[in-house]
Amino acid sequence: MSGVVLDKIVKRYGAAQVVHGIDLQIEPQEFVVLVGPSGCGKSTTLRMIAGLEEISDGNLTIADRHVNNVAPKDRDVAMVFQNYALYPHLNVAENIAFGLRIRKVKKPEIAKSVSEVAEILGLTDYLDRRPADLSGGQRQRVAMGRAIVRHPEVFLFDEPLSNLDAKLRTQMRAEIKRLHKRLGVTSIYVTHDQVEAMTLADRIVVMRDGRIEQIGRPMDLFNNPVNTFVAGFIGSPPMNQLTAVVEGGDDAPFATLGETKVKLPKLPQLQGQAGRKVVVGIRPEHALITPVDGASAIPLDLDLVETLGSEALLHTHVGDTPFVIKTETHGDIDHLYDVDKVYINAEKIKVFDAETGDVFAHPTQG
Amino acid sequence: MKKLTITALALASTMMTTPVLADGHGSKIVDEPLELTIHMHHKRYTSYDEDWPVEQTAREMTNIHLKNKTFGSNTPQSDEAINLLLASGQLPDIIGTSRIRDVVNQYGPQGAFTPLNDLIEEHAPHMKAYFDSHPDVKSAITSSDGNMYYIPYLPDGKYGRAYFIRYDWVEKLGLEIPNNVDELKTVLEAFRDGDPNGNGKKDEVPYFARQWEELIRLVTLWDGRSSGSDTYHDYYVTDGKLAHPYAGEGYREGIKNLAEWYAEGLIDAEIFTRGSSSREFLLSENMGGMTHDWFASTSGYNRLSADIEGFSFKAFAPPASISGKRIEEHRRIPFKPDGWAMGGTNEHPVETIKYFDFWFSPEGRDLVNFGVEGAQYTLVDGEPQFTQEFLDAGPVNSSLYQIGAQLHARGYFQDYEYEKQWSNEFALEGIALYDEGDYLIDQFLGVSLNADEQKVYDKYNAQLRTYMLERQQAWILGTGDVEADWADYQAQLENRGYSKVLEVMQAAYDRQYN
Amino acid sequence: MQKKLAWFLQHMRREWQIYVLLAPTIIWFILFLYKPMYGLQIAFKDYSIFRGIAGSPWVGFEHFQTLFESDTFVRALKNTVIISALSMMFGFPMPIILALMFNEILNQTYKKTAQTLVYLPHFISTVIIAGIVVTAFSPSAGIVNTIIGWFGIEPIYFLTKPEWFRPIFIGSGIWQEAGFSSIVFLAAIAGVNPSLYESAVVDGASRWQMMWKITLPSIMPTIIIMLIIRIGNILEIGFELVILLYQPATYQTADVINTFIYRQGLQGGQYDVAAAAGLFNAVVAFVLVMTANTISRRVSRTSLW
Repeated sequence: MSGVVLDKIVKRYGAAQVVHGIDLQIEPQEFVVLVGPSGCGKSTTLRMIAGLEEISDGNLTIADRHVNNVAPKDRDVAMVFQNYALYPHLNVAENIAFGLRIRKVKKPEIAKSVSEVAEILGLTDYLDRRPADLSGGQRQRVAMGRAIVRHPEVFLFDEPLSNLDAKLRTQMRAEIKRLHKRLGVTSIYVTHDQVEAMTLADRIVVMRDGRIEQIGRPMDLFNNPVNTFVAGFIGSPPMNQLTAVVEGGDDAPFATLGETKVKLPKLPQLQGQAGRKVVVGIRPEHALITPVDGASAIPLDLDLVETLGSEALLHTHVGDTPFVIKTETHGDIDHLYDVDKVYINAEKIKVFDAETGDVFAHPTQG
Repeated sequence: MKKLTITALALASTMMTTPVLADGHGSKIVDEPLELTIHMHHKRYTSYDEDWPVEQTAREMTNIHLKNKTFGSNTPQSDEAINLLLASGQLPDIIGTSRIRDVVNQYGPQGAFTPLNDLIEEHAPHMKAYFDSHPDVKSAITSSDGNMYYIPYLPDGKYGRAYFIRYDWVEKLGLEIPNNVDELKTVLEAFRDGDPNGNGKKDEVPYFARQWEELIRLVTLWDGRSSGSDTYHDYYVTDGKLAHPYAGEGYREGIKNLAEWYAEGLIDAEIFTRGSSSREFLLSENMGGMTHDWFASTSGYNRLSADIEGFSFKAFAPPASISGKRIEEHRRIPFKPDGWAMGGTNEHPVETIKYFDFWFSPEGRDLVNFGVEGAQYTLVDGEPQFTQEFLDAGPVNSSLYQIGAQLHARGYFQDYEYEKQWSNEFALEGIALYDEGDYLIDQFLGVSLNADEQKVYDKYNAQLRTYMLERQQAWILGTGDVEADWADYQAQLENRGYSKVLEVMQAAYDRQYN
Repeated sequence: MQKKLAWFLQHMRREWQIYVLLAPTIIWFILFLYKPMYGLQIAFKDYSIFRGIAGSPWVGFEHFQTLFESDTFVRALKNTVIISALSMMFGFPMPIILALMFNEILNQTYKKTAQTLVYLPHFISTVIIAGIVVTAFSPSAGIVNTIIGWFGIEPIYFLTKPEWFRPIFIGSGIWQEAGFSSIVFLAAIAGVNPSLYESAVVDGASRWQMMWKITLPSIMPTIIIMLIIRIGNILEIGFELVILLYQPATYQTADVINTFIYRQGLQGGQYDVAAAAGLFNAVVAFVLVMTANTISRRVSRTSLW
């Protein structure tokens, strides 16, 4: 019931338009992540949903209610801020209770809600402390507690983890995910970190320059990016992208990468397109170091081996373009230094229009 | 007749101070030029200027060459400057400043200044002649240890303030210039009610004053006193006995009546806050009726007759008090606390005292009073007369400062003739009127307290005065009743050390003036 | 000890640039704050400028005794405390209120204009301020009496009424300084994290609630520091304005320590008595600041040191 619908939402600051008509339908209980580089309009969009920014054009519906002109407090949303926005002069319990007290909720009820929330977040022992005496993770939890305690229709998260160190971030990520499962509240989450997006989201919205590039489940985006931007944004490390020209007949299209001919997938869009400039996209995970039947082999020089433990990244280059291979170590990396070829399965290759950046989609994907 | 009196007065004062004995062989003090250092500070000239024409002439005449060593020339505060000088510990040969009296009386006995009595006796015939003929001044400037430490600036001319009234209003209302306190009240009431300025509004301010203390001055109309000298709230002396004016019966009677006058609107309701511009404002707005203020500057307002028809603001004789006495309490003091002194480390005391004496010689007096002969004045029948050109050049006194004449930070004897030559006719007329009646009374010239007496004085006097002024204003404003409060007031004065202060002052007075 | 000194010298050699930067402040302190302390001893001496500080004889606590035996001084002390306390009570919150009000003005042009207008009186000299006050309260032409005249009230000669002196003095002080003093609070408000307000907006707080629950608590440390400093100056009253406004008739409520010293000083350059009164001022201020600071540190965890 508590879905959020953005219908051609536009944000203008004077003459400058920063959000160009966003359409997005968020289902009840869904966890949607808005992701994109800074300045892509994701935070602005979130703030429009929260009511902190006016909506210049379009319609916003929350739980079937048109809320364009509804005050933030009446939209029944709760927001978690990047820098937590905790009141330094109030202790944890008071911070959590702030929203309720503003709404004149009765005292016993507040106490009950606060202790429940504290229980959920593991803050029970810290209720008397002031924010200054808490660690970063604890502060983050208090910030979430403030949102949770109000039982809103929608949670809004504005880069809530970016002030934490890497380890805590992973931990908190899991905690947010767990909370969402437990509470089942519709959540909209803004981040610039695609890992957070991938791990948390039911659906990811990739944004660039005030427009949505692609909406989809994490694995859809990973497997079938609609353009070079999404391909480069989702996945770590990102997809290798090599500019090339389509060669060969329609039966066996190929492209010359470096000095090696690499077979391309037999896409209908490539029919009769010999000589067309394209971008060949190969995920580091799909570049194999052991021979596979039918795969093209590209000889290469190793620049660097980055060991991650169970996996390793081999930094190489094809022609002048850097090329990254992700492979499993199986507990030993010595053999990786001997790698001098990489094998690419044509079916795993994505081909993008070099001009527009749009993908030539596999027909199976409709 | 009037003219004759003034001339006679001027003549007499000149004759009296013309030295009986003079060297007669020029005024050179030393054969070879001698340099002496000087600190000279006054708010109008914060350092000594060797280029003043008067100084150049004096240098030629005496062969004494003064070198400027003034401290604190960057401040207009002379007391600050002299403190800086004293704190430096290096006193020049000559120190000339305003308000030097307290300084020399305090630090002279400590050795900061050279005692002058013997030096004057032996080497300064002109000054000796002056002091011999003015023993009261000599007593007044004698310190508690019996020494004189400074040569004062001695103003000439007796008259300071006078009662001024709108003669044209009095006439218009069909009244006479008041001769006594009752008539004065009638006139003031008429000013209040009779719309003498004819604008249809009851906006006349019958009695006003630039200094509210001039309201208190009116207690003399009920035989009270407001001050014994030219400073406000000062002690006064009668028959060798000191008292404070604000402790006397006449004062009580006066305050009681003035409070009534104030309540009835005969006194400017804002007299306590209107301040120094009130005379300018009330006269030029054709609202002020009567005041008590300086002859010269107040007479000057008759120039307003150009704008206000019939405007005539002139002095009138002090109205007779309830007991029939006519007195003008204010007069110019015969000597000022300003002047110059000799540093305690001066190595040429004889030359210095001779130099001081030079300014009391006829040539020196002409120089210091009138400037340089041939430039500012010429001799007419043997008497100095300002040139018309100089008189027309602007305010005479500031022109004189600029050439180094009439400097009050120097010990000299003023010649009233200098002021008369540029005084307003109305002022001269008023002075003649006051001269005729002989309304002035004796002044209290101050006492030099020794260290112990000073301590008693310092301890009590300031708060005593504070209390007196508080009660005084409360009575005038009607927040207290002088009759009802009087016994308590007397007791409070006693509590606050009135008789202790009186005792030490009387002791000093007896020592100094007997 | 030897070791420490050696360490210090070595440290100085290595970090000499920092010590050079520090030097002007230290020199300033020595020259203008520590050296003059030597002069404090004249409070216990029969001071003669000519003899110098060292050459003047000791008199112990005589000057203090003189002060406290004087009814006028005791009254001045009482007036000082009362005027200070009242002006703190009414004058201290004003700049805070002003700053909060400025903060609520959204139109930038309007805000700048309003701020400039209330800062302006700060730059007017005290003499002019006194002139304005005297004129405003004048019984014949003053605006105040004109206004109360509309309500049929007879003109009041305010400046000669002891009961009116304090309100007028404190009021004109507030008028002159409140705007300018609000700058420090405005700066503190500018430093408040804007997401606190956004969070409160989402939580549903009104502007009024945000002012009370966010702005005020957030600038509370600044307020407390300013208050402690103010308490330290409790005996320092801008006595020029008092001298310009008071009358013998209003001494009973208007005479403060500094004006008392001023009148006392005029009588005979009593630097020693003035120094004693000044020293007394300083000791009282020191005790007050220490107390306020300690209380504040315990209660609000904010303190000067």
